[in-house]
Amino acid sequence: MTSTALTATTTRTRTAPRPAMVAYARLDLRRQLRDRMAMFFIVGLPTFMYLVFGLGSDDAVGSGNVAMYIMISMACYGAVTATTGIAGSAATEQMMGWGRQLGLTPMRPLAFVAAKAALAMVAAAMPVTLIFAIGAVTGARGAWSDWVLGAAIVWLGSALFALYGLAVSLVFRGANAAGIASGFIVIMAFLGGLFTPMSGVMLDIGRFTPLYGYAALARYPLTDGWLPIGGHDPLWLPIANVAAWTVIFSLLAMWGVRRSRART
Amino acid sequence: MTTPAIHASGLRKSFRATDGTTVVAVDDVDLTIEPGEIVAFLGPNGAGKTTTVDMLLGLTAPDAGTIEVYGTSPAEAVRAGRVSAVMQTGGLLNDFTVAETVRAIAALHGRPDRVGLVLERTGLTGLANRRVEACSGGEQQRLKFALALVPDPDLVILDEPTTGMDVGARQEFWQTMRADAALGRTIVFATHYLAEADEFAERTVLMNRGRIVHDAATSDVRAAYGGRTLTFRPPAEVVGADGIDAAWLARVRDALAPLGISDLEVSAASLEAAFLALTQENDDDLIGAAR
Repeated sequence: MTSTALTATTTRTRTAPRPAMVAYARLDLRRQLRDRMAMFFIVGLPTFMYLVFGLGSDDAVGSGNVAMYIMISMACYGAVTATTGIAGSAATEQMMGWGRQLGLTPMRPLAFVAAKAALAMVAAAMPVTLIFAIGAVTGARGAWSDWVLGAAIVWLGSALFALYGLAVSLVFRGANAAGIASGFIVIMAFLGGLFTPMSGVMLDIGRFTPLYGYAALARYPLTDGWLPIGGHDPLWLPIANVAAWTVIFSLLAMWGVRRSRART
Repeated sequence: MTTPAIHASGLRKSFRATDGTTVVAVDDVDLTIEPGEIVAFLGPNGAGKTTTVDMLLGLTAPDAGTIEVYGTSPAEAVRAGRVSAVMQTGGLLNDFTVAETVRAIAALHGRPDRVGLVLERTGLTGLANRRVEACSGGEQQRLKFALALVPDPDLVILDEPTTGMDVGARQEFWQTMRADAALGRTIVFATHYLAEADEFAERTVLMNRGRIVHDAATSDVRAAYGGRTLTFRPPAEVVGADGIDAAWLARVRDALAPLGISDLEVSAASLEAAFLALTQENDDDLIGAAR
């Protein structure tokens, strides 16, 4: 300890640092895009399934055709896989101690949430854009409002599953939480009628599952509520489904956050 | 009169253990550290070192007591970049590269200009493009230190900084630290390696069961609790690869006996004796307080 060191450290003036959130988010995005496994499930798998099931299916559905119907379903699957994964990894990062590193920077916790939310929405936009673009050039047909509203609902509605991803990661702590979350997504995608249309008891059960309401809402402009294997859903049904699951996922996530805080 | 780097009084923090009992992790701690000091926090696991460090960094709020860091709240000092830390439980993202990790933290500090300098200072320039998961424990620890240097802080707090390092890496790490301390940074580190406190710190704060049991110059702590040790250098010809020649030692023993000296022992002096004297008497259930 010297006197010069003393004065050097006490009289140094500091300019208020300004966190460069965009630069951070860009680095984080690039890191997530490098995860080939995640990208396969977000972009590769739904695109592949559209090509297998949707390509050339020109039978009429509502104001469009079957290809359009399958395109929207697969975009839903890709988008929710993206938001689930990113929100889930955000929670896991926090638990693995990266949050403590971030806690030593001037970034406020709210800015972190905002950055992750933006990231999740960017990632969700990728499969929606790609699958809709492929659909557009390979014969998916519908009214212009089916395209615009469909894409908007798929994209914005996927935010609900960011809440879901967060809740699952907080409830099942640890590194395999992300795997559990995407595993459930596959099951819910079947129950929600994303991969194959359902009827009978499975349909009755499916109506109560979270992906059903979201996908039905995204397809509503196209189908007007008519189901592929007979039957009709009034508009309030998918809306009630989405509203109910928003409340459930929010409560679960809040409970998880509170529980994870109590530990420290 | 300068503003102390750290001024804490009456710090207290307890946790609820999973079985519902309350564990007092930090119990009435008073501490003042002046700018430019190098201070070791020494104590066994569960002594309350990490909890104290967390409170100094504003990551945990104390149940009672006050803390000022450079005259402001810890959170404010952290936000201003005056304080940073290498935390035991702080994690890295495995799929970032070394350089990306530093760039990410530098972005949040608004100091992208420091990336190159900090990598160089911690000897990580050659590893810049390596993924974090491919780095050894020592390299990851150096990376955490690099992150701590990003805001060019006046005070660096290190919590068990050399955990997981082998001897060589540990030495290298402390060399970097020493070079950095020479620039006038205040350094506070928690450790349970006695030799680290002994070699590196001017002042040692001994903690046990949440309390400060001794706080003085490192040499004083060693002297007060470790007893006195008489040392001498044996002639070079009796020192071999496997220690000191036994026959020569026997002659020393015989020569010293008339002076009333018994129990001749050959060892390196350390803080160990002090440490054991202060902590051994109550080493029962500390598991609950391990944090």
